[in-house]
Amino acid sequence: MQEVRAGDVGKLEILFDRHNRALFRYFMHLTSNRAASEDLVQEVFFRILKYRHTYQPETTFRAWMYQVGRNVYLDQAGRRKGEVALPEEAAALSSGELPADRQVQNKQEAVLLRRALAAMPPEKREVLVMSRFQDLKYEEIASVMKCEVGTVKVRVYRALRELGDRFFALGGERA
Amino acid sequence: MMCERIREQIPEVLAGRLDAASREKLIDHLETCSACRAEVAELGVVWRGLETMAEPEPSPAMRARFLETLHAYQEGFQEAQRKLTYQAPKPAWWAGFLPARPVWQAAFAAALILAGGLGGRYLLTPHPTEQAANPEISQLRSQVENLRQLVALSLLQEQSPASRLRGVGYSYQMSQPDQQVQQALLHTVNHDTNVNVRLSAVDALAKFAENPEVRRALVDSLPVQDSPLVQIALIDLLVQLKERAATPALLKLSQDKDTNDAVRQRAVAAIEKLGGSQ
Repeated sequence: MQEVRAGDVGKLEILFDRHNRALFRYFMHLTSNRAASEDLVQEVFFRILKYRHTYQPETTFRAWMYQVGRNVYLDQAGRRKGEVALPEEAAALSSGELPADRQVQNKQEAVLLRRALAAMPPEKREVLVMSRFQDLKYEEIASVMKCEVGTVKVRVYRALRELGDRFFALGGERA
Repeated sequence: MMCERIREQIPEVLAGRLDAASREKLIDHLETCSACRAEVAELGVVWRGLETMAEPEPSPAMRARFLETLHAYQEGFQEAQRKLTYQAPKPAWWAGFLPARPVWQAAFAAALILAGGLGGRYLLTPHPTEQAANPEISQLRSQVENLRQLVALSLLQEQSPASRLRGVGYSYQMSQPDQQVQQALLHTVNHDTNVNVRLSAVDALAKFAENPEVRRALVDSLPVQDSPLVQIALIDLLVQLKERAATPALLKLSQDKDTNDAVRQRAVAAIEKLGGSQ
């Protein structure tokens, strides 16, 4: 990134190849919308290009990219008031249909988890996605969210706890 | 207060990112606190469940669009730089510090090459902490695995069937469950009072089917079972494993007048599939 910052903008292609999938999945978890997620990734890399001189080498590129990503997402969500569409597979399966086969059961559990995740408040979903799917360290999440590492720790635990409650409730284990 | 602190570390321990000292403390605490054990088990199910969620791939068009933008930007950027280079070059401010005489210039260049070589060698030398990283990570993974087994075992001994079910589910999802867990599952198949828990344990044991002891125990379990559902699950599993040693037990079951009709039919079909009653 330091070379991009110094003017070798062609090097951004390497960074794009390294991080675009993870960033796309991050947005998919937040929006459940493929086209919107691809647009958001484009916008993030365009902003990285445009504001490359603001990159501080003491922050990891990943953390900075998610900072930009978060700002881009919040800008867009502000326009669309943050409602999250249910994933297609989640909408298609009603909880009444319980197949016996283990493989199908696992798949259904994944669908229930996706539903539970999509139903969570955006700020909780976001911190969990960063920790679980993007594999960001707590220090990096703290830098993205501009808060203390201890706060991230508590937030990730609470988000996971809430996801568990929602998931088991959807599965019928809890009222 | 202690429980709260411990629970906040659960995501880190599940991700394998908790440092050794905190992990030890957490394990010590779990040995004495069944509520926290249950919490680790429950959240572990959710954490691992997230792993099974399909991860979507972006379309190739996304990369193509990005490259278009990048190339357009690069062209504009290079054009702007070309215009700048047309202006009369000014001598750099640091040019005055460089030696003017060719002999000193050559000496300066040689010193730079030497410094570069030494610097490169220093940077290429592996750092001791990097060498230590891999064994540390594998040790960490194995300790987390041990922790999972501990939790599965403790859940299998809980009073509530829901917890025991979760224990079975937990063992089912472990990458390499050990002998103790196998034994606990076999005990569950034969002695658990709840049919659902027993059924689940039969499913989980399919994972250990390569072990002849487990196969033998599954065959021995057939006449012990009183629930037709569990008997059918066992028969199906033994057929799936092509366990011909089950034939005598199946024959006995099919001839027993007390056997449930559905079980009897399943047993007869199984004997045929396993190659007859020799």
